[in-house]
Amino acid sequence: MPSADAAAPALTAEDELPRGGRRFLRELLRSPKGLTGFVLVLAVLLIALFAPLIATNDPAEQVITHRFLPPVWAEGGKWSHPLGGDNLGRDIFSRMVHGTRISVVVALIVISVIVVFGTAVGLASGYFGRLVDSILMRIVDFQLSFPFILLALLLLAILGKSFWTLVLALSVAFWVNIARLVRGETMRIRSLEFVQAARGIGVPEWRIIAGHILPNTLPALVVLATLDVAVIVLAEAAMSFLGLGIQPPTPSWGTMISDGRNYLYEAPWMTLAPGLGIMLTAIGINLLGDFLRDTYDPRMARR
Amino acid sequence: MTGFILRRLVYAGVVLVAVVFFLAVLVKLVPGDAVDLMISSNPGLTAADAARLRTELGLDRSAVAQFIHYAERLADGDFGQSLRHGKPVWDLLSERLPATLELTVLAMILALVIAIPLGMMAALRQGSAVDYAATVFSVLGVATPGFLVGILLILLFSVDLGWLPPSGRGQSLTISLWRAIRDWDAAVFWASLRYYAMPALSLALVVAAINARLIRSAMLEVLRQDFVLFAKSKGLTRRRINFRHVLRNALIPTVTIIGLQLGFLISGAFIIENVFGWPGLGRLAVDAIHWRDYPLIQGTVLLSAVLFVSLTLLVDLLYCVLDPRIDYAKR
Repeated sequence: MPSADAAAPALTAEDELPRGGRRFLRELLRSPKGLTGFVLVLAVLLIALFAPLIATNDPAEQVITHRFLPPVWAEGGKWSHPLGGDNLGRDIFSRMVHGTRISVVVALIVISVIVVFGTAVGLASGYFGRLVDSILMRIVDFQLSFPFILLALLLLAILGKSFWTLVLALSVAFWVNIARLVRGETMRIRSLEFVQAARGIGVPEWRIIAGHILPNTLPALVVLATLDVAVIVLAEAAMSFLGLGIQPPTPSWGTMISDGRNYLYEAPWMTLAPGLGIMLTAIGINLLGDFLRDTYDPRMARR
Repeated sequence: MTGFILRRLVYAGVVLVAVVFFLAVLVKLVPGDAVDLMISSNPGLTAADAARLRTELGLDRSAVAQFIHYAERLADGDFGQSLRHGKPVWDLLSERLPATLELTVLAMILALVIAIPLGMMAALRQGSAVDYAATVFSVLGVATPGFLVGILLILLFSVDLGWLPPSGRGQSLTISLWRAIRDWDAAVFWASLRYYAMPALSLALVVAAINARLIRSAMLEVLRQDFVLFAKSKGLTRRRINFRHVLRNALIPTVTIIGLQLGFLISGAFIIENVFGWPGLGRLAVDAIHWRDYPLIQGTVLLSAVLFVSLTLLVDLLYCVLDPRIDYAKR
């Protein structure tokens, strides 16, 4: 893997943490892949943030005359409804824009929960080792050996369908990767000289963990968390597609596709628009994540 | 090696017991009265059904007593009655299991058939058009949800071209393969494969994308090793080096994650089945959740867990046979 700091020896990887935005910008402008990803992700975030300003039509309003209204580039399309209308005469553009907001909100909540929880478990497991590690890692193994959908179904069976069940199911399904990564990084960093030195001069353990180990796990953690966001967006869409995630009338990309597939012949844009939304979001996050990995992940630099 | 297999078996057993325990007490965890919920979702139920359900699901017992009761019933082959279908759960499950199993296994085979040549060519011609195409395939494959691929395939091959059926399973693929061989008649096999092609492809694509990338980087890693240089200087043919030495070593990391990917494929199958009206466990499970059909939820989850645990066990045992270098004591 060609990496910008190929010339630098392995040790400096720890020193070259992302300080300020200058290095980030310099590297970003050099990488077409990273730049594409960054622009896509930024666009998604901005659309989510300013949804009501971008799409002024009510996403839930049903206008009989707009049923199966074609998109603007097809015959009979209108500029006021650029992506046309769906089977109930709702504005697809507006539903897309508000759906972006739902995807972003779910992804941000879930990723925050699993980063906090996964990091805590990973740090404890990696730093203290022995019994704590054995117990925590058995739980992780057990969970890894279980398909995500079964966990989700169990939670749905207990709690019923709702927004928070969805968030909980996704969090429970994906915290494990984060915990494993942080555990591995913690074990690696704990044995490095500067940590040994800090121990030697009597720095308390909580300060070693919070001040020395945690900051050094961040580069790898940020990369994995970024890539995980794409997985979460896709999983949310899948759950909503099955009718087990975001419930109508809230617009979400997954439910839009599920509505649209019954009208594939008459109105393919009902399916294609949200499909494209999901793909562009996931591609953007993946490209950005790959860029971050190539640039910052110390485990890449060592190769 | 026997120790490793034994440990693996014990582990599989522990996982399954944990699943059974969890399923046995599942209904107790539902906030509110679970039987009331079931009755409101399934209007056909009577007061007698409600009383029967309270006993069957153990709402009047302790968790441990319910676990023993549930395990005993399972041992008798009694999975309870589906509320919605009015049939024994086991009848429904045994009808649906082969469909999901065939779909999952076919998708895994398809994923490898796509990923191995693609990853290999990309690594051997690093920086070429093939390599570039493989990268684009990986990026797109990982970012496109399977259910969307499925719908797009239906749009193209069923709606536009009218070549393939948009839903249903037709004849079991395994049975028709057997018949095709017996009668020496490929038409039987093709007739069945027409139904499997699109669901299996939409399920396989993500895994193929991940594996192609993995195989590419593993090949590049192996190509740098000294033994490859040695093989070259010994004058072995390129073909022999690439297949016997490089590919064989590069496949090891892929085999390792196939076990984990099976879980991913089962999750995917549950979703894809709902796109193609596939009569498998996934559709049964999703419908069961919508109707709050608890006996059926218990049954589908339990059977999927058994399916998953036995498939991963099989992969682990295969792995043992394939790669003699593994230190079993450490696993």
